[in-house]
Amino acid sequence: MNQEVTLGGLTLKNPVLTASGTFGYGLEYDSFFDVAELGGICTKGLSLAPRHGNPPERICETPAGMLNAIGLANVGVEYFCEHKLPTLRERGVTVVANIFASSVEDFVKITERLERSPGVAAIELNVSCPNVSQGGIEFGRDPALCAQVTAACKAVTQLPIWVKMSPEAGDIVAVAKACEEAGADAVTAINTIRGMSIDPSTGRVRLANRTGGLSGPALRPIALRIVWDLVGALRIPVIGIGGVFSAEDALQFLLAGASAVQVGTASFSDPTAASKVRQGIAAYCAAHQLTVSELIGRGRPDSRR
Amino acid sequence: MSHPDLTPLAPRRQITANLARRDSMGPAYHVLTFDVPEGVDARPGQFTMVRGAEWGDAPLLPRPMSYLSGGRRPSILIKVVGDGTTRMARAVPGEPFHLLGPLGNTWPEVTEGKRPVLVAGGVGVAPLLYLARSLAPHGVRPIALYGGRSERDLPMHEELAEVCDLHVTTEDGSRGERGRVTQLLPDLLSGDVEVFTCGPDRMMAAVAALCAPREVRCIASLETPMACGYGVCLGCPVKRAEGGYLYACMDGPCIDAASIDWGDGAAAGGAA
Ligand SMILES: Cc1cc2nc3c(=O)[nH]c(=O)nc-3n(C[C@H](O)[C@H](O)[C@H](O)COP(=O)(O)OP(=O)(O)OC[C@H]3O[C@@H](n4cnc5c(N)ncnc54)[C@H](O)[C@@H]3O)c2cc1C
Ligand SMILES: Cc1cc2nc3c(=O)[nH]c(=O)nc-3n(C[C@H](O)[C@H](O)[C@H](O)COP(=O)(O)O)c2cc1C
Ligand code: FES
Repeated sequence: MNQEVTLGGLTLKNPVLTASGTFGYGLEYDSFFDVAELGGICTKGLSLAPRHGNPPERICETPAGMLNAIGLANVGVEYFCEHKLPTLRERGVTVVANIFASSVEDFVKITERLERSPGVAAIELNVSCPNVSQGGIEFGRDPALCAQVTAACKAVTQLPIWVKMSPEAGDIVAVAKACEEAGADAVTAINTIRGMSIDPSTGRVRLANRTGGLSGPALRPIALRIVWDLVGALRIPVIGIGGVFSAEDALQFLLAGASAVQVGTASFSDPTAASKVRQGIAAYCAAHQLTVSELIGRGRPDSRR
Repeated sequence: MSHPDLTPLAPRRQITANLARRDSMGPAYHVLTFDVPEGVDARPGQFTMVRGAEWGDAPLLPRPMSYLSGGRRPSILIKVVGDGTTRMARAVPGEPFHLLGPLGNTWPEVTEGKRPVLVAGGVGVAPLLYLARSLAPHGVRPIALYGGRSERDLPMHEELAEVCDLHVTTEDGSRGERGRVTQLLPDLLSGDVEVFTCGPDRMMAAVAALCAPREVRCIASLETPMACGYGVCLGCPVKRAEGGYLYACMDGPCIDAASIDWGDGAAAGGAA
């Protein structure tokens, strides 16, 4: 059955992408499976200049999840465009560039750099990183600021702009609507939620940053609820993220109305997770004689599909 | 002279392998040996991410473990510290595991004319024993210093003694010399030696601090917490001497101690 999904003007081969920060720049997964088989990959968050990130410890496992405080360590947009993107393009990988900045001006500069690099399918604005002191989550909480970033980036590119929602944005629907009005082509939800862990044996907080973003299965029900609400409130497509480990998990998001899903932490547990999710959805569609677009939103009571 | 195998490292793959046997040395230390009919080209110093195929959501992430051996019966030596290693310690033959590897770099070649000194703390013995065993066929017999809290914390010391000139320390004096393994090192560093170390961070930091002023090359195998094992999560940073970070899974785990900022001895995180 047809697996294609259309997100605004962009058509993906299938609804499975990988989540930013959990799939490197894509090529790291070469020896596990052909990354081009996926609907797309979201790169590690790119900033204008390369960043070293936070001191160790940056990660720790928690019940059905993990905390991370990487601090957006990345190679920078220039290096990415010069050294990673050409190979990705050659391989036929659909690339979504996830970007991050601490000012509207820098968001625009990164967008301009990507706009003139062939091989980018869409740009995902990370206005919701919980692990940096500047330009992270405070952007994502403020509908007016999110709208401003969205509009400013839209103004300098033809590429679709996706905005990644913070679950900590008080009124997340208001933020998403502001982005929609500002011209966003889709919203992706959700980024991690801040959590903590203390090691009783040492009495010390486990992460150097003290708090870290919670990801993994523990996040799934919260993400699903938020996606459900967003789908109900928006006209633009919603992309679901949060603890997708299996096709069954992904199907929950699609049935809730997400037009696609992103696989994150699951890739650490099993580097072939995204490929297995893709295959599982295809098998489900075959068994139920449904295309993926027929599946989307089918779990909603208001669905006539 | 040593590290014969300079062919390119094998590409990383995830395989499902059944546990062939578990050899337990008391409640804390266990050797897990897997059946891998096609073999794994895992070299001394490299590691694998290990996860029970039937673990479900807990533990969620695979656990990094140094290879104790490669080939068709790759093995690891585990110390029980938390949930993951507890599950491994209870594994029974036939139980399926996902093994992702080989990952990371290898111990570097021993410099011509230098005698290797291996400094092991507890379970850090695994990659060093594998190294010593790989040197034996080349006629190289390292000196090994091996320390633990008590005699119960010296897994595989007999095996190490077969391939090394072994000196043991325990903090409680229950075997070998009483005290810390680093107290044996200064005397050795005046010779033509090179140090390879793996163990708690504080021990490795102390070893590095002894080697640096004497200009003795010291390679440390780092055991930072890891989520992926192949450079994507960026969860395994180690402070670099010149600033910024090295990543234990890609730049290591075997890293020249002089390039690391050992700070207060906790540069690489993890338990000390
Ligand atoms: C390259 C590499 C090679 C390793 N080789 C071996 C090996 O050969 N044998 C072996 O027993 N262990 C080895 N380790 C350490 C091993 O990965 C951890 O002990 C293991 O992940 C703990 O899992 P757990 O679920 O039992 O404990 P958890 O529940 O995850 O943690 C229990 C306690 O152990 C501490 N801890 C967690 N991860 C580490 C770590 N990486 N190092 C030290 N302490 C940690 C935690 O802070 C916590 O206090 C290696 C680590 C690395 C990075
Ligand atoms: C180690 C790690 C690094 C991450 N880095 C980024 C990032 O750079 N940019 C971003 O937008 N999200 C980042 N995220 C968030 C994920 O993209 C995703 O939104 C979140 O992990 C929830 O999905 P999951 O439960 O499937 O992992 C990161 C997550 C993890 C675990
Ligand atoms: S363990 Fe993921 S980057 Fe090193």
